[in-house]
Amino acid sequence: MVLKVFFPSCCSSAESGILIGRWISEQNSAVILAVVHFPFIPAQVKQYLSEVQQVTKIKVSVLGSWSNSKQEKEESLSEFLEDLGTIFSHEPWIQISKERDSKFWSCSTLQKQSNSPKEEEIILVYYDQRKVMLSHLHPPLDTTPSTDHKANDASKLAAMFDTVANSKILFMTDRYDDGPIKLTHWQSDGVEASIIVELMKQASVPACMLLTFLLSLTSAICKRRMLKFWPLPFLWSKLSTCEQLGHRLQHLQVISSNKKAQNQIQLMRKANIFVSLLIDVALGILLMSWLYRKNRIGHLADTLIPVADHVAKELQDLLQWLMGAPAGLKMNRALDQVLGRFFLYHIHLWISYIHLMSPFIEMILWYVGLSACLGLTVALCILSDIIALLTFHIYCFYVYGASVLSLLRLYCLKIYGLSSLWRLFRGKKWNVLRQRVDSCSYDLDQLFIGTLLFTILLFLLPTTALYYLVFTLLRLLVVVVQGLIHLLVDLIDSLPLYSIILRLCRSYRLAAGVKFRVLEQKHGKPLRLLMQINPLSYGSVVQTYRLPTYSCYPKDSWTSLCKKLFFGELIYPWKHKGEKQD
Amino acid sequence: MEERRYRAVSGAPIALRRRQHSASCWELAVRGPRLQLRSLSAVTSAVWLAAYGLFVLSESSMVLSAAIFITLIGLIVYLHFVKIDQESLLVIGSLGIQVTSSYASGKESTTFIEMSQVKDVVINEAIHMQKVIYYLCILLQDPQDPQGVSEVVPLFQSSQPRLDCLMEVYKSCQEILEQRKTAPQSSGIK
Amino acid sequence: MAAGGPARRAHNVCMVSDFFYPNMGGVESHIYQLSQCLIERGHKVLVVTHAYGTRKGIRYLTNGLKVYYLPLKVMYNQSTATTLFHSLPLLRYIFVRERVTIVHAHSSFSAMAHDALFHAKTMGLRTVFTDHSLFGFADVSSVLTNKLLTVSLCDTNHIICVSYTSKENTVLRAALDPQIVSVIPNAVDPTDFTPDPSRRDDSITTIVVVSRLVYRKGIDLLSGIIPELCQKYPDLHFLVGGEGPKRIVLEEVRERYQLHDRVRLLGALEHQDVRNVLVQGHIFLNTSLTEAFCMAIVEAASCGLQVVSTRVGGIPEVLPENLILLCEPSVKSLCDGLEKAIAQLRSGTLPSPETVHNKVKTFYTWRNVAERTEKVYERVADEVVLSMDERLNRLISHCGPVTGYIFALFAVLNFLFLVFLRWMTPDSIIDVAIDATGPKGAWTKQYFLGKKGRVKEEILNS
Repeated sequence: MVLKVFFPSCCSSAESGILIGRWISEQNSAVILAVVHFPFIPAQVKQYLSEVQQVTKIKVSVLGSWSNSKQEKEESLSEFLEDLGTIFSHEPWIQISKERDSKFWSCSTLQKQSNSPKEEEIILVYYDQRKVMLSHLHPPLDTTPSTDHKANDASKLAAMFDTVANSKILFMTDRYDDGPIKLTHWQSDGVEASIIVELMKQASVPACMLLTFLLSLTSAICKRRMLKFWPLPFLWSKLSTCEQLGHRLQHLQVISSNKKAQNQIQLMRKANIFVSLLIDVALGILLMSWLYRKNRIGHLADTLIPVADHVAKELQDLLQWLMGAPAGLKMNRALDQVLGRFFLYHIHLWISYIHLMSPFIEMILWYVGLSACLGLTVALCILSDIIALLTFHIYCFYVYGASVLSLLRLYCLKIYGLSSLWRLFRGKKWNVLRQRVDSCSYDLDQLFIGTLLFTILLFLLPTTALYYLVFTLLRLLVVVVQGLIHLLVDLIDSLPLYSIILRLCRSYRLAAGVKFRVLEQKHGKPLRLLMQINPLSYGSVVQTYRLPTYSCYPKDSWTSLCKKLFFGELIYPWKHKGEKQD
Repeated sequence: MEERRYRAVSGAPIALRRRQHSASCWELAVRGPRLQLRSLSAVTSAVWLAAYGLFVLSESSMVLSAAIFITLIGLIVYLHFVKIDQESLLVIGSLGIQVTSSYASGKESTTFIEMSQVKDVVINEAIHMQKVIYYLCILLQDPQDPQGVSEVVPLFQSSQPRLDCLMEVYKSCQEILEQRKTAPQSSGIK
Repeated sequence: MAAGGPARRAHNVCMVSDFFYPNMGGVESHIYQLSQCLIERGHKVLVVTHAYGTRKGIRYLTNGLKVYYLPLKVMYNQSTATTLFHSLPLLRYIFVRERVTIVHAHSSFSAMAHDALFHAKTMGLRTVFTDHSLFGFADVSSVLTNKLLTVSLCDTNHIICVSYTSKENTVLRAALDPQIVSVIPNAVDPTDFTPDPSRRDDSITTIVVVSRLVYRKGIDLLSGIIPELCQKYPDLHFLVGGEGPKRIVLEEVRERYQLHDRVRLLGALEHQDVRNVLVQGHIFLNTSLTEAFCMAIVEAASCGLQVVSTRVGGIPEVLPENLILLCEPSVKSLCDGLEKAIAQLRSGTLPSPETVHNKVKTFYTWRNVAERTEKVYERVADEVVLSMDERLNRLISHCGPVTGYIFALFAVLNFLFLVFLRWMTPDSIIDVAIDATGPKGAWTKQYFLGKKGRVKEEILNS
C-alpha cells in the first residue's frame, strides 16, 4: 500500500526537528501538523501532546523526524534522528530530510517490528495549512450519526480536513511565546487577529439584546391587534406588503437571537440574512433619496390620474367594439348587450372611485415613499399592491364575487355543461364513484331536454368565449406585471449575498473538493504533489445557501396553465395559504 | 512521456499524451484540434456581412456597432465556456482520479474523485447526436450498496476519441486500478 | 437449400421492429426467440427498436443479444412516427458499425420496420420481411396500408409469413410474386407451457381468456358470451388476463349482471405468469376477429386445455381438428361451441392434458423456425441486390403511376441524403462494434456473472 504524507508547505523551511501530526491507519496516510524544533525534552513533548489531545479529541502524536541540513550532511544528526525513533515509538517512523535548497527531499520509513525491510512507495502531498484549516468541504456532512461510525465512513479528504480544522489550538502559539517547546506551523510568525473584528464582537452583544427587546414588543402588539378585528387577518394575508414585512421581521429575529450558531450552515445563513437585509435597506434608501428630490412624487401623482382615465377610456372603447360586431363576428345580440352594459357600468364606477381619490393621491404616495427606508423589497411589494388595487375593475370583470352572472363562472359553467351534455349525446355518463365514463341508456324526455340545452349552450358559447378571452388577456397582463415584481422581490430575498462575496474574495473558504498538481519529478525520490482547494462553483453556492422565501413559484407548467384558462378556472397572482406551506 | 495521434468520432485529429510520473501515477491528456483561424474568420465575416446588409437596409449605424459587440462577446463566451482545448485524466493509485478540462481561454475546471468512491473505469456505448459511440466512464460506488453504482461520470466528453484511443487510456487506468485490487490481498497474507 | 450443411455462412442479421421487450406480445417473443436460436446457430444478431420510457440506449440480453433502443418519437400504439428520412443517420450508423449483411424487419404495423427496409435497400443490403398480421381490403385505412405495403415490399428480397392464409393475404395485398414468399409458422417453447391438472379446481368449470383487450381480439363478442353462459351454467367461471381499452366493456358486463365472483379480470400479465393462469382453467376461449397465426391457442393447447376459437385467418391451420373447436365469429356460434366443449368436459370424453401436451410439443419449436429462417437467409444472401435504376424501375412499374413516381422520388432523395451522410462521416471513421453475441463472442458466459469492467477487459486483452 502506498504511504501518503500530507506536509504543510509552510514547514518546508523549518529547522530540523520532529514531526507531529495524526496517523490515519486505515488509509495509510500521515497528516503532519507542525514541526517541533531542537532542543526539546522528550518528556515535555509527550506531556504537551497529551494536553493537546485532551482539548482537540484528535490523536496527535510524534510521527517521525525532519532534518533540514543547510551545510554538508552531518553524520551525527542522522544517527541522532534514528535514535529518536526509539524514544517516541511510532509505527512506521517517517524520516524526511531536505538537503540545502534542493526541491527533492528524501523520504523513508522505518518499520521496527517487521523484520522484512520492504521498500514502500511514498507520496508527498504539500498543502496550504491556513486554507485547509479555514475551508469547509461541501456538501457538509450530516453530524447526526455517532462520531466513531462517521470516522470510519468518512472519506480520506474529509478526515484530513477535519484533522487540520480541529487542531486550531496547536496553531495558537507563536515563536515569541516562552514555552518549553518551539513549533513551526502557519501561524508561527505571529497569530492573525484583527482589532476591528474583536471590537465588533464585543459591541454586537448589547445591540442584539436591544433588537430582540424591540422585536418582541412589536410582535406582541401585532398579535394583539390582529386578534381583535376579524376581517384584518384576511386582508393582511392578501396584501403582499404585510407578508414581506412579516418575513423581514422573522429575519431580524434570526439575526438577533443570542443563540450560537450550531454549525457552518446556520452561521452562513445568519450572515446571508444580515447582508441581504443591509443591501435591501441600502437600496431602499437610495430609491427614497431619488424620489424625494426635485418633487418627483408630485410629477408621478400628476401623471397617474390621466393614465388611469386613458385606460378607462380605452376599455370603454373596447367594450363598445365588443357590443357591435367585433372582427365581423355575428354574436347573440341580447346576451352581448347584457354583458356589455354590465361591464360599462363597472368602468363607470371605477372612474368615479379614482376621481374621488385624486386629491389625496399625492399625499398617499408621499407616505408610501417613506416605506422605502424599510427596504427596497417592501417598496416593491407596496407597488404591487397598488397595482392590484388600481386594476380592481379588471379583477372584477374576471371574478365578480360568486355571482352567476360573472363572466368566469358563466364560461366555466358553460364548458362543464357542454361536456356533460356531449356525453349524454353519445349515451355515456360520468360515474363519480369510479371516476370513469360509463355507458348509460337515457329516456326519450331526458335526451330531448339535454339536446335542446346542448344546442342553446353551443350557440351562446362564442359570445361568452369572446368576452372571456378579452378580459382574461387583460387579467393575464396584470398578473404578469405583478409576477415580475414578486420575482424581483424573491431574488433580493433569497440571494445568498454573503456566500457569493465569500466565494469571490476568499474562494478557498467554500471548498467543493481538492485538486492535485504534480510537481517536478526526479528518479528515486518520492512522488510530489501539491494539493490545492477546488472552490465551489457559483451555481452550487447559490443552491446550497439559498434563503427560503415566503412565496412559492407557480408550480404548474404552461400546459396546465393553458388548460386552466380553457376550462375557466381562476388564476391568482397571490397564493393561497394552503399552497404556501410546501 | 509519449504522444500519439488518433481521430475523434467526428473525424477531427486528436492527440493522446501519456505521461508516467511514477509507478502509480499516470497522466493522460487528450488534446483536441486547435481553433482554426479559417473558421473563426469565416464566422466573423459572415456576421459582419449580415450586419452590413442590415445597415444598408435600415441605414442606422447602431447595427454595425452591435455586430462588433456581438462578435466580441460571442468570441469571449466561446473561448471561455465552450471550446475545450484539452481534457486530462490524472490517475494516482490509492489517492484518486482527477478529471481536468482546460478551456481555450485558460480556464480549468477540475473534479477529483477519491479512490474509495471509484468502483471501476469502463468503456461503454451510447447513442449521441445521431451516432452510436464508445465512451470511457468512471463508475462511482454506491455508499449504501457495495454492488451498486450510484453515478456514471463520462470522460472526454468534448473530444470524444475513437475506440482505439479509449483502449489505450483504459489499459493505463486498469493498470493502476489493478494495484489497488491486489494491495489488500498482499497485506492480508503478510 | 443444400447449403444447410456444416459449411454454412454466418450472417450478420439486424432485426428491426417497433415491437420488442419490455412491450409484450406475439411479435416481441417471436423476435426474441428467433434471435436466440440464430445466435445458437452461430450467427450474429442484433435487435433495433425504439426507446421504451427510460429504457433507451444499448442493452444486452441473454447470450449477448444486443438491443438498440433508439430515441425516436412514438406516435400511436407503440409505433413510431415516420418521415421516411429522419431515422436514416442512426440506422446507417448502426448498419455500418455492426457490419450488417441482412436486415430483417418485422410486423407491417411497425413504421420503423418499413423505414429500415427503405434505408437498407438504399444502402444495398439484403432485406427480409416477416408479416405477422392479416388485413382487410375494403375500408379506407386498409387500402392505404396496403398501398404502403406494396411500395415497401415490391423490392424486398424475401417475405416470410406465419401461415398459409397470411401468405395468401400478403400476396394479394402487396401484389407480390408468390415465389419470394415463404411460410414459417410461429412457435412456442413447450417447456414453458406444461400442464398441471392439480392447479385447477374440478368442482367448477373455468374458461380462460388471455389476450390484449382490444377490438381486434373480439372483446365485444366476449362481453356477449359471458352473461349468456353464466345464466345457463351456475358453476361456470371466467378468467380474463390482459389489459387494453376494451377492459371497460367487460367491467360493465360484470357490474350489470353481478358477476364479480365469477368473472375475474387479472389485468396485464407478465409472460412467465401466462402459464400459471392457463393451467387454472379447463377451456381456452379465443374470440379474435382476425389473426395470422394464433400463438395463444398453441400455448393453451400445450397446457392441456380444450381450445374453442373463431374460424378466422390462419387459425384453422394451427391445430389439428381434434384439439380445437372452431366456430363462426358470432355470439351464438361461440356459445354453441363452448356448450359443446362443456358437455365434452362433463362427460369426460376430452383427452387428458398430458396426452394433449405431448402431441402439441412436437408441432412448433423455435429451433425449427430458426433453421427455416436460416435457409431463407442463405437464399437471400445469394441474390443480387437491385441497383438503383432497377429499383426505380420496379417501383414505377409495380406500384401504379402516381405512387410509383412519388416513392421513386423519395428513394432518390434518400440516396442523396445517404451520399451526404457518407460525406459527413465516412464509413472509415465509424468504429466497428465489438461482437458480443454467441458462444464465440467477446463476452463469454462466465464474465456475464462478473463485473462489467472485467468483461471489457477481456475484450481488450484478447
